[in-house]
Amino acid sequence: MLLQFKMAEQSDDELVENSRKGDLAAFKTLVIRHEGKVAGVVRSMLGSTPEADDVGQEVFIRFYEALGKFRGESAVGTYLTRIAINLSLNEIKRRKRRFSIFAKEEDGWHKGTTDDRKDLNEMITYEFDRLDPDFRAVATLRLIEGYSTEETATILGIPLGTVLSRLARAQKKLRSGLEKHLN
Amino acid sequence: MEGVNEDLFLQSLDGKISEEQKMKLAEAMNADPALRRNADQFVKLRTKLLRKEEDSFGPFFAERIINQIKSLKKEIDYQIFFFFKKYQLAAIGVVVALVVLNIVLSDNLSVKSVLGFEDEQVDNIVAIDLYKNLTE
Repeated sequence: MLLQFKMAEQSDDELVENSRKGDLAAFKTLVIRHEGKVAGVVRSMLGSTPEADDVGQEVFIRFYEALGKFRGESAVGTYLTRIAINLSLNEIKRRKRRFSIFAKEEDGWHKGTTDDRKDLNEMITYEFDRLDPDFRAVATLRLIEGYSTEETATILGIPLGTVLSRLARAQKKLRSGLEKHLN
Repeated sequence: MEGVNEDLFLQSLDGKISEEQKMKLAEAMNADPALRRNADQFVKLRTKLLRKEEDSFGPFFAERIINQIKSLKKEIDYQIFFFFKKYQLAAIGVVVALVVLNIVLSDNLSVKSVLGFEDEQVDNIVAIDLYKNLTE
């Protein structure tokens, strides 16, 4: 208990250093500290699905495997967000392939019609999930996770102008889908 | 609310713009009702998008990760063992072949000769008197 308390006081860099030396308790503290952020990103990208949990686990496993390469140039949270976004985009591609085999409809994994979703939160989730994955990634980082435009561009590895244009288009699509509900 | 203005508006929501930029944005919104309506819609949208409660992957998530890492480590150890197993077998084969060769080539079956050590005969051992060699 005392050990856990001491670890909770340590900085991310210290915990990474100890994890590199094989200290699994240090790595566990890192997981607890960043679980919320990773869950937020993955759930925004994939929704609350079992795949989201799998991707969440994969994010931390990948991070553990990459500890040797992690130089601390970016913050641990940012590094994890980058892994989370990339793995989520891969999962969306896999999902699309799977649904293209079993169903022809454009958004196969959404069940029900628009009229079924009376609640504004549900409507927003629905419209957000309908966004193109690249737009969704920008909107997740910029609008939900609160990264700046520059940070979003760095995490996604795209130019600043592309972030701005994707963000504008994402917002336009969201607003047009939710027009009457937002007014 | 396109391009830079849109980002400027977002920055204003994050509280990251200067007073001068704030004035500029307020002027633009006062002058354009459509921009103001879009901004209102956007604020509503963002408020809804921002999660109120902390996200999580459910109970014992960290424990599950640690268990996965432990089993991953075991798997790697197992793979390393089996990767080197073929070399271990080859090395044992070479040692056995050398022992057999020594047995075949040597005249006696003592442990020393089997292991390739020369069996010194007592007659062959020559005593050296160092003191004598030095004085001569």
